[in-house]
Amino acid sequence: MKRRTILAIAGLFAFGLGGAGPAHAADIKIGAQVPTSGSEAPYGIDMLNAIRMAADQINAKGGLLGEKISILPGDSACDPQAAVNAASKLVSENITGVVGGYCSGATLPTLKVYGDAHVPFVITASNSTELIGANPGNAFMINSTGFDQVKTAVALFKAKGIKTLSIINEGDAYSANLAQLTRKAWEKMGNKVVDYEVVSKGQQDFSPVVTRIRERHPDAVFWTAYYADGALLIKQLRQGGYTGMIALGDGNNSPKLFQLAGAAAEGVYCFSNPTANFLPAAKTFIADYQKQFHQPPGPYSALSYDGMMLMAHAIKVAGSTDKMKIIAALKATHAFPGIAGPISFTKENTLARSNFVVLLGKGGQWTLYTGPGAPAAP
Amino acid sequence: MPLYEVLLQQFANGLILGSFYALVALGYSMVYGVIKLLNFAHGDLYMTGAFAGFGALSLFSGWLGGGWGGIVPAILFSMVAVGALGVIIDRVAYRPLRQAPKLSVLITALAVSMLLENVALAFTGGQYTAFTTNLGFAGVDLGMVHVTYTQMVLVGASVVLMVVLELFVSGTMHGKAMRAIAIDQDACRLMGIDVDRTIALTFLIGSALAAAAGVLAGVYYGSINFFMGFLIGLKAFTAAVIGGIGSIPGAMLGGILLGLLEAFGTQIPGVGSEWKDVFVFAFLILFLVFRPTGLLGRPEVERM
Repeated sequence: MKRRTILAIAGLFAFGLGGAGPAHAADIKIGAQVPTSGSEAPYGIDMLNAIRMAADQINAKGGLLGEKISILPGDSACDPQAAVNAASKLVSENITGVVGGYCSGATLPTLKVYGDAHVPFVITASNSTELIGANPGNAFMINSTGFDQVKTAVALFKAKGIKTLSIINEGDAYSANLAQLTRKAWEKMGNKVVDYEVVSKGQQDFSPVVTRIRERHPDAVFWTAYYADGALLIKQLRQGGYTGMIALGDGNNSPKLFQLAGAAAEGVYCFSNPTANFLPAAKTFIADYQKQFHQPPGPYSALSYDGMMLMAHAIKVAGSTDKMKIIAALKATHAFPGIAGPISFTKENTLARSNFVVLLGKGGQWTLYTGPGAPAAP
Repeated sequence: MPLYEVLLQQFANGLILGSFYALVALGYSMVYGVIKLLNFAHGDLYMTGAFAGFGALSLFSGWLGGGWGGIVPAILFSMVAVGALGVIIDRVAYRPLRQAPKLSVLITALAVSMLLENVALAFTGGQYTAFTTNLGFAGVDLGMVHVTYTQMVLVGASVVLMVVLELFVSGTMHGKAMRAIAIDQDACRLMGIDVDRTIALTFLIGSALAAAAGVLAGVYYGSINFFMGFLIGLKAFTAAVIGGIGSIPGAMLGGILLGLLEAFGTQIPGVGSEWKDVFVFAFLILFLVFRPTGLLGRPEVERM
């Protein structure tokens, strides 16, 4: 009995090792820092899939510098501490570069870990403006930051002839930051924010706020928090008789919003980073992804795919796995053709253009808005 | 909108919000009144009730429709199911601890709350569920003040439930037994009152009321999730304390008062709604400093 248990454990061990497939010593190892556990795991796995797909495609075409790319996942769990542990582990495994970064709060402390080891880092989702100042110089953000979202938002409001605005957030770092940046930008343009509200997360009843909005009758209401509560707010605004424009921040690009808000979500605007279904260049990407993983790509899959491709491109330009040379190659990136649009960087290593799009709720789903005030296509 | 209409609309808003708080606060208050336990799992019974009602409505709406014809049976089903769950929780988690230190029962109640929440999380995957009914926005308009029929039914239903409960507790033998147990459990045993059964009955009624509130909230707001019981649990507890914990009319008054405070708190001139909760809870502190037993609570002599 005892012997059999030991044998079984030994067997499992051997199988485990075999299954994991230790990276070949000469492979080019790329870390993929994404949450693969916890509440954000679905998004993280969508990103990991896309990074793997990019690596597979490169390997199928003969690899990079004559080597194969192998992807080492590091689970950030959308948690600062877990992310630092994952980053330290990746660094100790001697990776050449790292791609990923989801949940700005978790990405922030890893900047130093990779910075100290001079590991090039292509950040494909996290976009808090706080990452910009904390960047030691080795990280490159290919997703637009909150500043760009504010620019997109005020441009749309202006084009729609909006004069007075109501901004509602939930008081957390993300939604409050977006709300404050928008208020500042809007007032700087000489317009008025007639109403600035903070509601509690999970508060189901927004009727007092709705009444106050009807009293102040702003031309537009801008909700900067997430879709779950946003859906209830939209519904109650329309039920309460508010007929003005409603705009939502990038936490609302979810089909679920239409299930929760129903008809009230028709004609509502949403600012968002480009998801694959709105990118003309992503058709083959979507088909390949669907074929390999039997599900449509997630909201950050396209950017993660671009991130891996960009990293491979930089290694090729550097001509070696010398990390400093790769960082220099990334820095010099000019109009790299990603499926989410061309990539060039500013002095601060952020994306040189805004990749935000405006979506419009129509027929129970998000559609790309191309009317007045919409950002120009990349 | 002219100011008086704004205030009238806020009054209606507060009344509706308050009736939800009141329904949940009743169960809190009843259980506390009878066995001196803060049943932290109460908010989660509200959540469980919403899901039970959602499940029932999905089944019934096929032949009863998604209007009130389907909703009323769903509410009744949810009240029975969650009432039974409340009794089971009492039997499994609280009754064995009847003689244990109060703190142990309190922690058990927290554990039950976590348990219910995480079971719901596991079942729903943390997703928000759309609770679709076909109730319209039709209603009565007074100037720009709009009150839908659904809202009126909601407030009416809560008032009816509360009145029935008050009549039950003040007018029946079972109610009398509950009140007696609140005063002295041991004396009740000597008098031949089945204490455990009466406590189970208290849990049955309290949980059923929370379930009714949960389904009504689902119907009204149209979205339910595993975490929806948390915030309302806290608010209902606050309402129960304002009203005087242990008192049934107190819980109703407390709930309505808290709802009105929140609605009018948004309207305080010169400040944004980020200050709303500051005012509401500052008021609560002041209120309790001057009236620690709440609106209708009786000063209590601690038994040694």
